[in-house]
Amino acid sequence: MKYFLDAIRAMLVTLKNFFRPVETVRFPFEKRERGERYRSSFALVHDEHGEEACIACKLCERICPSEIITVVGGEKKLSEATGKKRQYVGDFTLDLNACIYCELCVQVCPVDAIVMCRVPEVPGFFREDLVLTMDKLYANEAAANEPTWANATKLWEMQDPKRGLVEAEPDEPAPEPAASETPSTEPAT
Amino acid sequence: MSLSIQPYSAEQPVNPYLDVDLYDPDADLMVLNLGPQHPSTHGVFRVKLILDGEVIVKAIGYPGYLHRGVEKLCEKLNYSNIKAIIDKNDYISPMINEQAVNMAFEKLAGVEVPRRALWLRSLLAEFQRIASHLIALGTFGLDVGGALGGGASAFMYCFRDREMILDVFEELSGCRFHYNTHCVGGNRHDVPAGWDRMVLPALEVIEARLDELVDMMVNNQVFVDRTQGVGVIPKNLALGLGLTGPNGRASGIDCDLRRDAPYNAYGEVEVRPAVRSAGDCQARFLCRVDEIRESARLARLFLAGLPEGPISGTKPNKGPTSVKIKEGRCYVGLSTPRGELGTYLIAGGNKGLSPYRLKIRPPSLHHLASIPYILPGNNLSDAIAILGSLDPVMGEADR
Ligand code: SF4
Ligand code: SF4
Repeated sequence: MKYFLDAIRAMLVTLKNFFRPVETVRFPFEKRERGERYRSSFALVHDEHGEEACIACKLCERICPSEIITVVGGEKKLSEATGKKRQYVGDFTLDLNACIYCELCVQVCPVDAIVMCRVPEVPGFFREDLVLTMDKLYANEAAANEPTWANATKLWEMQDPKRGLVEAEPDEPAPEPAASETPSTEPAT
Repeated sequence: MSLSIQPYSAEQPVNPYLDVDLYDPDADLMVLNLGPQHPSTHGVFRVKLILDGEVIVKAIGYPGYLHRGVEKLCEKLNYSNIKAIIDKNDYISPMINEQAVNMAFEKLAGVEVPRRALWLRSLLAEFQRIASHLIALGTFGLDVGGALGGGASAFMYCFRDREMILDVFEELSGCRFHYNTHCVGGNRHDVPAGWDRMVLPALEVIEARLDELVDMMVNNQVFVDRTQGVGVIPKNLALGLGLTGPNGRASGIDCDLRRDAPYNAYGEVEVRPAVRSAGDCQARFLCRVDEIRESARLARLFLAGLPEGPISGTKPNKGPTSVKIKEGRCYVGLSTPRGELGTYLIAGGNKGLSPYRLKIRPPSLHHLASIPYILPGNNLSDAIAILGSLDPVMGEADR
């Protein structure tokens, strides 16, 4: 009898869950809302003068734990926009097959040239599809692949050891009242 | 003739080195390979079972199928890169693995971590503990199977609730699983605006649904029959094998590094780990349930008291050579959802850019060491329940 009653009770829980809102999405047709900082595929960006921002410093190549970035330095020439001499990148390849999305390459880039995208990379049928060549990386900069919040400057700002010591951060939640504050959405129990 | 093997007890220990003659025609033994691809072994763990009918006579565990040579790889990578690959170790609680290596690096480099980062780390660790235990509970429900209404439903419910924590992590760090949100000297990502409005409801929902899970499984007579008194690890065996975490605490070892050797911000709050004495599958399950509640309480405390200030004590990482540790050695232990994760670091490889040696003490390996002792004498079906209740993560045991 105990077994039977317990089974009924367990079934009631199942029934309760049956009427809860569905939490899955039918993936290829519907897409989940990604967080603001969601990081996925990559893009190389142009700087404010419309030139390729990457200066082929190879820092990202050296920091990548999976060693999947290959940077080939290009020619050094006078920049048309600023008139200063700078280096350009000859070739840039990023092999997404082995990327662990650690964001370290974005973190170290001195000129904010590489960013990650909020839109997941398009799955491919071949491994070669996942190798991001320079053309693909620059194509990713287009509006369709909205970049994430993070680039190196913003990350460095956030990690500044002096940050928040001089003035209060507008970014942070108020510490004390945060706990007692009523949640904005009712928990769907 | 059949060998009479009794389940392990303090009075009558099982000899894991028992010699069995497989070809003895009278004994009628059978060899059964459980794993390495069996879903209930929680990864790729192979147990060779020698069965007499349905009763296990001898069990031999074979770890190593997921060996990736992480420790060796760490000797080659720079300090700033190691934390990015180390969270693949214990892939159920990556956040805490990152903290472990970072704490070791910080100890040797003499970096002081700002208070906000310490609190944020503790907060993230408690979230990760909830998520990890939810997986443990859910997969255990799957392992004991048809606990009438439990079983596969509980598995789905636990994973659904865990999603909320992953969402919280995604909001903070941008990744759902391998975060890389720590750096030597602090954290890389500060909490975004309005994060608490997402976090607090999630905690509430998880706690409410945990009550349902308890109602559905723990109070269920079928579940009690399957777990009570099964796979008992007595206290002396647990001590001898070095069991820590919920598995050790279920056997009555009242030890939790969060309370006994406080790291991060745990010294500033009161931690009350759940301790039970029965040492069976049920006690281990209940320990985890209690720990989720405790973690939710701690997470609220940490969120409420999150101090203002910087999140990193060093300059931001601007290159592969930003962290340099010339020499020294240290051990750092912290409490993951599975037990004590130890990191022993000898600095000085590669001109001070990489460790000379990084040894990781994975709690799961020690838990798996108990298998030859506690499986014999049980039925084959109980072997699955016992393996599930130990909650091993092979990524960390094999490294
Ligand atoms: S995010 Fe990918 S490409 Fe960038 S450093 Fe990490 S593994 Fe390398
Ligand atoms: S992407 Fe940035 S870090 Fe990488 S080579 Fe170009 S400038 Fe250097």
